[in-house]
Amino acid sequence: MSTATPAAEASHGHGHHAHVDDKLALLKKVHTFSTDHKVIGVQFLITTLLMLLVGGALALGVRWQLAFPWESMPFFGELFAQQGGQISPEYYTMLFTMHATVMIFLVIIPVLAGAFGNFLIPLMIGADDMAFPLLNALSYWFMWPAIACFGMSFMFGGGPAAGWTSYPVLSAIQQAAPGSGMAQTMWLMGVTFVGVSSMMGSVNYMTTIINMRAPGMTLFRMPLTIWGMFITAILQAFALPVLTAAGFMLLFERTLGFTFFIPGGLVVNNADPTVGGGQPLLWQHLFWFYSHPAVYIMLLPAMGMVSDMMACMARKPIFGYKPMVYSMSAIAGLGFIVWGHHMFTSGMNPALGMTFMVSTMMIALPSAVKTFNWIGTMWGGRLEFNTVMLNSIAFVSMFVVGGLSGIFMAAVPVDIYIHDTYFIVAHFHYVLFGATLFGVFGAIHFWFPKMFGRRMNETVGKWHFFLTFIGFNGTFFPMHLLGVAGMPRRYADPYLHPYLEHLLPMNQFMTICAILMGFAQILLLGNFLISIFAGKECDDNPWHANGLEWSAPSPPPHGNFPSVPIVYRGPYEYSDPAQPEGKDFWMQTEPPPTSS
Amino acid sequence: MRVETIIIGLALLISLAGCGAQQAEFVNRDEIDELIPEAQTHVRKVLDGAGIEGETGHFGKPTNMVLWERLPVHYHGAYGAFAETQIDEGADEVSTLNVSLLEQNLPVEPGQTLAWISGKYAGQASTAVAALNEAGNQIEIDPGLSVPPDAGDRFAIAPGAVISHGRKLYAEHCQHCHGVTGDGNGPTAKYLNPRPRDYRLGKFKFTSTGSSVKVTRNDLSQIVENGIPGTYMPSFKLLTEEENHAIVEYVRWLSMRGEIEFKLIQALRNDYSKEAVDSAVASARESDSKLSSSEARQNIVAEMDEYLTGDWVDEFNDDTKFLADQWKQAEDPSALVIPKVARVADTPESRARGRALYLSAKAKCATCHGDAGLGDGSQTLAVQKNPTTNTDYDVPGLFDDWGNPLKPRNLATGIYRGGRRPLDLYRRVHAGISGTPMPAFGTVLKDEEIWDIVNYVMHIPFESRDQRPGDGAGESVPASTEVATVAPDESTDIAN
Amino acid sequence: MKRFWCAFFMFWPIVAVILCWIAPGQNWWFPRGPSGTGAAMSPLGERIDDLFYMILMITSVTFVGTQVALGYVLFTGARRSDTSHDAEGAEKTWFTHGSHNLEVMWSIVPAAVLLFIALYQMEVWAEYRVKDKFPEEVRKGPQAEVTARQFEWRIRYPGLDENGNPLELMPDPQPTDLYTVNDLHLTSGEPVMIWLRSEDVQHSFFLPELRVKQDAVPGLVIPVWFEATKSTEYSLLCAELCGWGHYKMKARLVAEREEDRLVWLQELQAAQNDDGVPDAGDASDDE
Repeated sequence: MSTATPAAEASHGHGHHAHVDDKLALLKKVHTFSTDHKVIGVQFLITTLLMLLVGGALALGVRWQLAFPWESMPFFGELFAQQGGQISPEYYTMLFTMHATVMIFLVIIPVLAGAFGNFLIPLMIGADDMAFPLLNALSYWFMWPAIACFGMSFMFGGGPAAGWTSYPVLSAIQQAAPGSGMAQTMWLMGVTFVGVSSMMGSVNYMTTIINMRAPGMTLFRMPLTIWGMFITAILQAFALPVLTAAGFMLLFERTLGFTFFIPGGLVVNNADPTVGGGQPLLWQHLFWFYSHPAVYIMLLPAMGMVSDMMACMARKPIFGYKPMVYSMSAIAGLGFIVWGHHMFTSGMNPALGMTFMVSTMMIALPSAVKTFNWIGTMWGGRLEFNTVMLNSIAFVSMFVVGGLSGIFMAAVPVDIYIHDTYFIVAHFHYVLFGATLFGVFGAIHFWFPKMFGRRMNETVGKWHFFLTFIGFNGTFFPMHLLGVAGMPRRYADPYLHPYLEHLLPMNQFMTICAILMGFAQILLLGNFLISIFAGKECDDNPWHANGLEWSAPSPPPHGNFPSVPIVYRGPYEYSDPAQPEGKDFWMQTEPPPTSS
Repeated sequence: MRVETIIIGLALLISLAGCGAQQAEFVNRDEIDELIPEAQTHVRKVLDGAGIEGETGHFGKPTNMVLWERLPVHYHGAYGAFAETQIDEGADEVSTLNVSLLEQNLPVEPGQTLAWISGKYAGQASTAVAALNEAGNQIEIDPGLSVPPDAGDRFAIAPGAVISHGRKLYAEHCQHCHGVTGDGNGPTAKYLNPRPRDYRLGKFKFTSTGSSVKVTRNDLSQIVENGIPGTYMPSFKLLTEEENHAIVEYVRWLSMRGEIEFKLIQALRNDYSKEAVDSAVASARESDSKLSSSEARQNIVAEMDEYLTGDWVDEFNDDTKFLADQWKQAEDPSALVIPKVARVADTPESRARGRALYLSAKAKCATCHGDAGLGDGSQTLAVQKNPTTNTDYDVPGLFDDWGNPLKPRNLATGIYRGGRRPLDLYRRVHAGISGTPMPAFGTVLKDEEIWDIVNYVMHIPFESRDQRPGDGAGESVPASTEVATVAPDESTDIAN
Repeated sequence: MKRFWCAFFMFWPIVAVILCWIAPGQNWWFPRGPSGTGAAMSPLGERIDDLFYMILMITSVTFVGTQVALGYVLFTGARRSDTSHDAEGAEKTWFTHGSHNLEVMWSIVPAAVLLFIALYQMEVWAEYRVKDKFPEEVRKGPQAEVTARQFEWRIRYPGLDENGNPLELMPDPQPTDLYTVNDLHLTSGEPVMIWLRSEDVQHSFFLPELRVKQDAVPGLVIPVWFEATKSTEYSLLCAELCGWGHYKMKARLVAEREEDRLVWLQELQAAQNDDGVPDAGDASDDE
């Protein structure tokens, strides 16, 4: 650190003296209405980790029924004592609906944008806080009404049961399904609250990233994490209003008698025939106009974080930084014109099918470029196989599968067959779990020292990774085969159909893997909680990384940096031959040798 | 194979570790709570012995069924009686038996077990069947018996195979709506309109038999196969014949169980309900002031025990025999409603006659089904009497015997719940719909008249089709209370 | 340990490839169906399968290529990290910010492949869905109307005239129409069309062995055509969540020769007009 700037030095000194006893500073405020972005980030992180367990438990319920249909269900079986512990089909529909809802709206979106977005954006761009701290705090606290709404929806008619996509007419007519009554209304309100929360975050991130970068932090000196968050924020800002509008339309349809989605003359559950001239496909268009970009909202920040972690653990600059940025932008742009690929069999105009097929094929391109760049980043690097790196490699490896299986679905004729089968389920779990969640696991291990000044246990971390990876692939890879075998999604008992009967042993194998994976998450949670108090203490930059956040104390105090950091370099200056002996990184705040 | 063994082994471990081993249980009718505890115990003892040590009753549990021979249910793969057999003096065991098979529900295959139901071997270890001859009157058993059974000893091959298969299928397909007990109250039931059938009254709506005759196996099997249009009862067309039969037998068994339960409770309800016993205790103490209330109660319980060991046994035997005969009778071809006259040609004249009858005071169809057949006749607005309690319902409109509000069928939708053949409609008119206010017209109307009505009714959906947008096919209860008081007097003869 | 992790990351793609390789033999592949091989039972389905296999080839090559590259990168990276960064004779980290040529190459090649896949699929899709491209045979009209409802398939056929030939299927129900539930009988060996409707919520008409899937959308009547090559029974089920009984919508398609179908229709007509009088002599199925 012979060339450290005064700012960096000051921050070190500060960290070692003033904050050495205050490693729990962030945790201590976690129950308060704090406007500090780091506290909000930690709040989001802990909330979403808890929700991850809830969502996982729901998924295990689904898996149980698929492996041992109509058998006495462990733990949940008590609810059906009179039935001999046998669950009922509407309970099953509730299980997968709420699994998806919890995982998407309460885990993945908030953990990426909420937890890591909040914690990292100001630190990484050298700002003292977000542009709108109050808005930021509100965006966290608006999660709770959403959680309350989703939670309450369980109490009405067994929970919403129209799938997370909530296609009308099933979700619009109150009598259409047990959960289509009040439960669906609560669900829609929950989604609205989540939307409000996301929107507040999105506006805040865009403003912060545009306006509050430290001196010298040009756009192309920003870490890819920030680029990911930035593009995500833009996506949310443009896509969310459509979902919110659609949600309100559905809400009005259900409660005030408007007709947007319900056509006339339908007789559901012997109610009087419906009156009106709505069009169910309208919902699908509106819903997917948000929900397809939402897939990238659930992916881009993880892509960014993995890039940062990978460069650091390979001790090598990102291969093709600008192509990475451009491909993320391309994904975001194309993401708005591919929503129709969810609707190939829906009966929309066949000409649209062709258009959407071409655009969907094209969106595979930037993803491919990014994958090649990640491999290029590791190529010729000095790889450290720690938990962070293992999770990042898993991200790439799994993302390849998720991306390639997407090509099958993008091809309309092939999609005719595999649409709404387990092939789709396999695909999006490879993307959302295989890619995003492994990225998040890596990020938790990577930035944990910055949050709590301690490191997470490496051995437990590796075991968690090992078991999760095995369990994950054992659960989800066979789903591709189930899909090819024609097993439809959302079936409480697929074995009713003779051509699916022989798939039961495979489903049992998958369920056992899923249970393994579920238990592995307890390791993560335990490691996280115990390491907060008993992890190995570490200095402010344990990974020898370049980013600005590592020049701040761990945990960073209110205001983050003692003085405004000045940025002289890009974020990935690892192993530069120009670096002096014994040092293979240059922090962004280090001025070039000539200027010192 | 090894992989599967591991999977199943692990699965077993998990299921052992994870579950509190929930078991499906029959539940009793709510009315049982009105009885004094001693009477409740008796009812349970007779039915399934729930909660009583060593008692399984006549029905047992869903997972441990008792197959009561008295009920006309096809329980077994095959069922028969031993016939007189010439036994070789020298042979030390008998392995070929002459039999008369009374019912055969499944093919007899080698390896099936044979269990003796009566005679000297009753309840003894079963033997395996080796073969059944082609004529179906001789079976080989292995190992043989050292002493031949007596003629007339009854046995079952593949004992309980049909009913336990039925129970398994019922749990998969039916239970979540119709409930473990067949009370139409499974977890899904509360969302359905109309509610799933409660089998326990022994009444089924859409039968091919005359009014007040039970349902036939074939009727139930048709419902399972084709579903009931306009309701949530779906078609299970692709079940095999054997599966269909197994489900039907299990449903009949549940239905009989429900009826017997009802009878049992009825028998004790008058004298041994909590209320009755309380008042009896009070009056006993009034006449004899020295009597303590517990003594008085003990007397009454003793009285009940006496009744239950005496008269009741005969009554119960008579009741169950009567019930079994009723179910048997339904299977008799004479129980079927068969028109004596072929369908009257579907001409405009016939329809006009049908229309006239439809509106006439003789058939009074329009009072419920409405002038245009929309199911909105005047009776739907009147307060009806409950035929069992003889009190008025709280809300106007028609009710079925299960206490659910009922809307007369809208005949314009073209949905015929009991089947759309002319024969089906004929039967609806001729024999009525049991459990509902739809009366039987078989004695009132001539066959030709019924056919005229059928012709007219079948034409309603095509009449002035475009003049009737958005007609109601629902079962909602009309809320117009001010009209409700107008014509309650007619209700009794409609609801027979 | 580093070597272990490298092997670990290479282990699972190998398992994946083997799994896909043995899947058809283990019956974990396309439903075997009446052909017993898993081949599609309709000409269009066969072409869909061909497209599927083409994509499978391309993606398999990409998958293997990417994983091999990843494996190489991991092994060399692990070896390099055995020595410290500035130890004597240590392999130097490759300091690079990327390669313009490589970026261009791995943008253009995938783009060309993807575009090729997209354009190559157009024709099958057009034939399946675009009305002008429908085969000549199906333009004369549908053989049946399939109405999905919670939770079964209600099917309406046109009645027969005096000569036993089917009438034309009208959009509205006719007194002569014939009805079945969960039992769709169509002609085999030629393209046939049905009308698909829904009575309540959204459903999806799925014939796995024929590779046909089309959502039944409330308020729309959607023509669907397909051709069953073999006269036999096929599975028909629902593929769009339609409520708690979604999985119960189990039905069958019976494809049979036209003359057999006519016989079946005649029987259906006789059964449906049954007045139960024994003299009529026709099939009263009550006894």
